[in-house]
Amino acid sequence: MSIMEPLTNIFREVFDDDDISLSPEMTADDVDGWDSLSHVNLIVTIESRFSIRFSQKELLTFKNVGDLMSSIESKL
Amino acid sequence: MVVQNGQYNIGHICTKQQCDNGLGDKVSFRWMPASGRPSDFTFTDLEIQSNKFANVINNLGFAPGDIFFTFLPKCPEQFFSFLGVLKNQVICGTLFSNFGDEALLDRLGDSRAKGVITKKSFLKKLSRIRDQLPNLKFIIVTDIEDHMSDDVLSYSALMANASEDFITPLTAPETPSVLHYTSGSTGKPKGVLHVHRSVLKQCATTRDVLQLGEDDIYWCTADQGWVTGTSYGIIGPWGLGVTQIHYGGMYDAARWFDILAQQKVSIWYSAPTALRMLMREDNSLYQQYDLSSLRYIFSVGEPLNPEVIQWSRKILNKDIYDTWFQTETGAIMITNRPELEIRAGSMGKPVEGIEPAILDDQGLPVAAGEQGNLCLKPGWPSMFITYLNNDTAYQQKFINGRYFTGDTAIKDADGYYWFKGRSDDVINTGGHLISPFEIESALLEIDEVAESGVIGAPDDVMFEKVVAFVHLHSGIEASKELEIKIRLYISNKVSSIATPQELIFVDKVPKNKSGKIMRRVLKARYLGLDEGDTSTLED
Repeated sequence: MSIMEPLTNIFREVFDDDDISLSPEMTADDVDGWDSLSHVNLIVTIESRFSIRFSQKELLTFKNVGDLMSSIESKL
Repeated sequence: MVVQNGQYNIGHICTKQQCDNGLGDKVSFRWMPASGRPSDFTFTDLEIQSNKFANVINNLGFAPGDIFFTFLPKCPEQFFSFLGVLKNQVICGTLFSNFGDEALLDRLGDSRAKGVITKKSFLKKLSRIRDQLPNLKFIIVTDIEDHMSDDVLSYSALMANASEDFITPLTAPETPSVLHYTSGSTGKPKGVLHVHRSVLKQCATTRDVLQLGEDDIYWCTADQGWVTGTSYGIIGPWGLGVTQIHYGGMYDAARWFDILAQQKVSIWYSAPTALRMLMREDNSLYQQYDLSSLRYIFSVGEPLNPEVIQWSRKILNKDIYDTWFQTETGAIMITNRPELEIRAGSMGKPVEGIEPAILDDQGLPVAAGEQGNLCLKPGWPSMFITYLNNDTAYQQKFINGRYFTGDTAIKDADGYYWFKGRSDDVINTGGHLISPFEIESALLEIDEVAESGVIGAPDDVMFEKVVAFVHLHSGIEASKELEIKIRLYISNKVSSIATPQELIFVDKVPKNKSGKIMRRVLKARYLGLDEGDTSTLED
């Protein structure tokens, strides 16, 4: 199952930007408004929509969107 | 001398005057984007680019006293436009780049701004509110090649045709300059208006408190959307010809310390929230960095707790000096500094020329050592001159000839001041003042929400966090999806910093008999404290 489409929709909703196109190399510096507080919004939304939970330790290992996608896929 | 030949213009002092003083080839700032190669801009570059932008807005018909905003993340265009606008004697406001539609509408609407510079990805926010901004004539976009319409214009196209020469008019000290909006506990944000005279205090404190001299490499991490970002990320250091580092990325402990070490930063000005986040990293991280160039660390935004100072002494082998000021004061007023013994947790002592006092609500002195309102004797050079379009609110800040800051404090026997709290309901989260009223108003725009009340509660990292109490319309059930909807609505309509960190669904929001939200009661309930006098609560 590809999570790219639903994850893109979540990013667009969280950051209020319909033009966001995800790529594995993307980081917080590539998305306007992706700061530490909106990051919490992102994680909470992903957890709810995919019905998964991230541990605090996992959250610290995400360096880019690719890491986030791998973690989500491993939980589905 | 900061002011030469009677020229108070901040744009001129930060650029042309530095070139005239022989610093034209000196690096004014090293721009370090989040990714990609750094680039250096000399004071001559700063002069040319700001001149070009001054000509751009001059050609568009801006006149002295008009209002122009920057709505940009940290980037070189932020600095060129800010200084170019000021050279024209046009008032320059700055907007935090994470503001949402409502926050933008409040500020651009109240100020009747005539122009704004932004980037393409922010256009959507502006376009959604544009029809409510009849005075907004021009939007200049930094990252489009060609003009999109007659009033949505390309920065690069405009700059390509603009002259490098601009003679800044002789500017009197009382000429309006910088506009920052600040939050109160009631009503909409208020526009704090400064004048060009402020450069005197901003430069004096940059020199005497932050200890900046011409050989320093200085890094102020503040965003230009807030007063620290303009007073100490632009005006103070460039008014003294100091080289700055400007970094376009987010918080990242390793990256930050790479910058401190590799760029040989000698003075670093940051915020307690960032410092507390650094404290949470593994201490071994810091052992790999050579910080021998770093002379001093300063902090601003919220009280610096003693644990951070102790951590810095132990891990970084440096003291951190906490400074205190606010948007209205324009420059540091009370501060710890290298020549003073640090009393960890205190605000420090007043800077030269500043006369604070601890007063009761009538403006009379409280007994020595007692808590009261922190007030200042008016007349310092960087003092604001009014709240734009709201002089009544401005006048209300003065009682018995003293400016009431809204903070409460005590003064100890040795003359050190100690912050105790706010005298209103304004929330200080991560160094940013947030109005509970703004968040409550936005919450009521959500269909499911019937009533709301918002408070600030203590937080280990952010100093205070936003806690929202929400009463839903009958028949609406609280759910995780609704919680997400509310969080995202506030984040995108107001700003990410206003997002409730805790959302509590309640059957009723306590109000008094005249319908005023009793935030005091909400806070007491949240903290498990006595609710005090509740006789005025509605039935």
